[in-house]
Amino acid sequence: MYGGGNVFEAMKATALAEEDPQKLAEFEARIDRGEKIEPKDWMPQLYRKQLIRMIEQHAHSEIIGALPEGTWITRAPGFKRKLALMAKVQDEVGHAQLLYSAAETLGKSREQMIDDLITGKSKYSNIFNYPAFTWADSCFISWLVDAGAIVNQVANSKGSYGPYCRALERICAEESFHLKYGHHCVIHLATGTKKQREMMQAAVNRWWAPMMHFFGPSDKISVHSEILMRWKVKMASNDECRQQFLDMYVPKIWELGLTVPDENLKKNQETGQWEFTEPDWEEFKRVINGDGPCNKERLAVRRTAEERGRWVREALLAPKAKYVTPLA
Amino acid sequence: MSMTLKSLDPRVDRLGIPEEWASPMAPKESLDQFETYEAFVQMKENKPFEHVGPVHAPNEEMAFLFAKEQYSRRGMFCHALCVIKTENIQTTGFTDNNISIYDSIESMPSGDESESFEVFHLLKRGKQHKYVGNVNAKDFEDALAVAKQNYPSEKPVFNVWVARSEHILTSDDEDRDIWETLKEKQYREAIDYRAQDKIKAFKERTSEA
Amino acid sequence: MNTEALKELLYKIADDQLILGHRNSEWTGFGPLLEEDIAFSSMAQDKVGQSWQFYKILNELGESDPDTVAFMRNADQFHNCQFVELPNGEYDFSLIRHFLFDTAELIRFTMLADSTYEPISQLAKKIRGEVKYHTMHANIWIKQLGSATPESIQRLQDSLNQAMPYALGIFEPSPFEDDLISSGTFVGEKALESEWKKQIKEIIDQTELDLPDMDSLTPAFGGRSGNHTEHLQPLLDEMSEVFRVDPTADW
Repeated sequence: MYGGGNVFEAMKATALAEEDPQKLAEFEARIDRGEKIEPKDWMPQLYRKQLIRMIEQHAHSEIIGALPEGTWITRAPGFKRKLALMAKVQDEVGHAQLLYSAAETLGKSREQMIDDLITGKSKYSNIFNYPAFTWADSCFISWLVDAGAIVNQVANSKGSYGPYCRALERICAEESFHLKYGHHCVIHLATGTKKQREMMQAAVNRWWAPMMHFFGPSDKISVHSEILMRWKVKMASNDECRQQFLDMYVPKIWELGLTVPDENLKKNQETGQWEFTEPDWEEFKRVINGDGPCNKERLAVRRTAEERGRWVREALLAPKAKYVTPLA
Repeated sequence: MSMTLKSLDPRVDRLGIPEEWASPMAPKESLDQFETYEAFVQMKENKPFEHVGPVHAPNEEMAFLFAKEQYSRRGMFCHALCVIKTENIQTTGFTDNNISIYDSIESMPSGDESESFEVFHLLKRGKQHKYVGNVNAKDFEDALAVAKQNYPSEKPVFNVWVARSEHILTSDDEDRDIWETLKEKQYREAIDYRAQDKIKAFKERTSEA
Repeated sequence: MNTEALKELLYKIADDQLILGHRNSEWTGFGPLLEEDIAFSSMAQDKVGQSWQFYKILNELGESDPDTVAFMRNADQFHNCQFVELPNGEYDFSLIRHFLFDTAELIRFTMLADSTYEPISQLAKKIRGEVKYHTMHANIWIKQLGSATPESIQRLQDSLNQAMPYALGIFEPSPFEDDLISSGTFVGEKALESEWKKQIKEIIDQTELDLPDMDSLTPAFGGRSGNHTEHLQPLLDEMSEVFRVDPTADW
């Protein structure tokens, strides 16, 4: 799963002017031909920086995203659910590994990225700062948060950077299991007993606002984002992703007799666009900046894993071990 | 005694996390970063090994253990697995736009076949490197010259990886059974989750009411 | 074949795997390194998945369905050894338990592959590959950490000392030991234990660790007949928390 809504770093316009024009032209021609960029290719600084930032945030989101659902691993009802949830959360950790590896090919080591996460320097998807109160919350995450992530990831898998595309291909293949599993769980709750239905509806009510935040605020069109689109770093706008998600999943939520807690939510038949109450972006900012219900716990858990695992890594680390970046 | 963090996750509660860890930590003095290994999977007996991605591990044995679960935990797609320490793989530069990297290799094979090397090709940018075969040569450069002669490709080769055969750890045939899975492992697959009947029954039930 | 004896054998195997699988799954997301987190989670899944298969055999012998059996019994009805219900502790204890338990398990399944009771021998053959990876994993870790730094050696040694009486509890004899042996269902706990001691020693001898003197230890017996530590019931309550909201519901 993945937190969308990338906030792209604004870089000085001069940065691009300093690049070698001939190399830049070759680089852009390669992308225009539809060929992927590979790690050892020449690339503009802006391209490298934005990709590291984006892939790193994506990786952090996977590893932190394993926590809210992990809340229910020991309590999942019955063998089938238990095994599936264990496998799903494991996949998320696996995705973090794949994504860190892709980011590493751009020149930042995994330990550096993890260090930036636990020191609070790097961000991850906002949605994982909310708690999973009941089993139904974990079902919501498995189905709909993963659905939102897939919208994002499918778009990004057509981007220009080879290692990121390869990682996303593997990830998307596994996400199809997550999505079906999550949907299966939600169907069982929504069509089940009164108690199950109530649990599920309460979870939808709790998670709708974070879900709308998930895709990020409307993108401001700038020269900067135009370049990133041209270089196939940014593949779809936040609004496009949100619309696509609503289009694909709101009808599926409604058909289960569940309601969405936004009375303004409807599809405008003329424009084909979904209309909804503007999400509270102040809350979004507040949570991103550390003041959400679970920010502290999420990072504390990662720090604990680091601290308590330190003796293991120290014992295994050969004194002469030399780190090299992965090849692809 | 310091307070411990309270969580909705009973697992987290049992970790007994000191509350001070809820504040940002100081950066590590030195990064405990393990070495890098590249993993390759052979999906079926007659298919070539394909690069699947890297793992970080303190040594070759552990790299194998880790790669097995990271890249082949859905066992039905794996016949064999191998790992090579990344620093033991020599790579050529990349070409593009239908130019083969072999075009830039002009030297002829030396004829000295004292060492054994394994060769991998990249046939499309964005895809995986695939194993093409084993050559005997004097050194890496010589191995490329031999590979150029032995593996003429109609399609351009954009990048080549070469590693000494002795640097590869491959799964033993007799351990093939570590990928055998129960049919019940389908819980990891999307195909195992069908519930349209339930939706249909629910709709019928609610439209009657 | 004495069905009671058979059920007793199946229950203890299934309960061991279910409970240890649960304990091990607690590590998912908290592991000491990313790749190990993934590997350890796979092994936890294997255990829970295997226990499910053993409960299915029990179901065919007339016991309730696997979900009911696994999630609706109380601690005194569980046949697992006390070893598997102990809390995870730090990674050293979890690894030592993984090593000691899984070595026994691989031997047990290798022996059961020759069982005269067809459903058991078939299942044992099918899961041997999974358990083989588990012991491969355990051996490599123990060999490495057991001879690395003073801290890692000390930690493993302490955990080994703490774990050993409980590990010996794996081999608590069944009241049906003679039936199982004479019918060719299972060669018995004694044979398993002696092979286990041999294999454990083989690995420990390659490290800086010392094997405690097993003859002087009192094995932690009782689990097989429903006597458990205070840790099991809370774990069972947690496992079944959602299921018990409505056991008749389809989750």
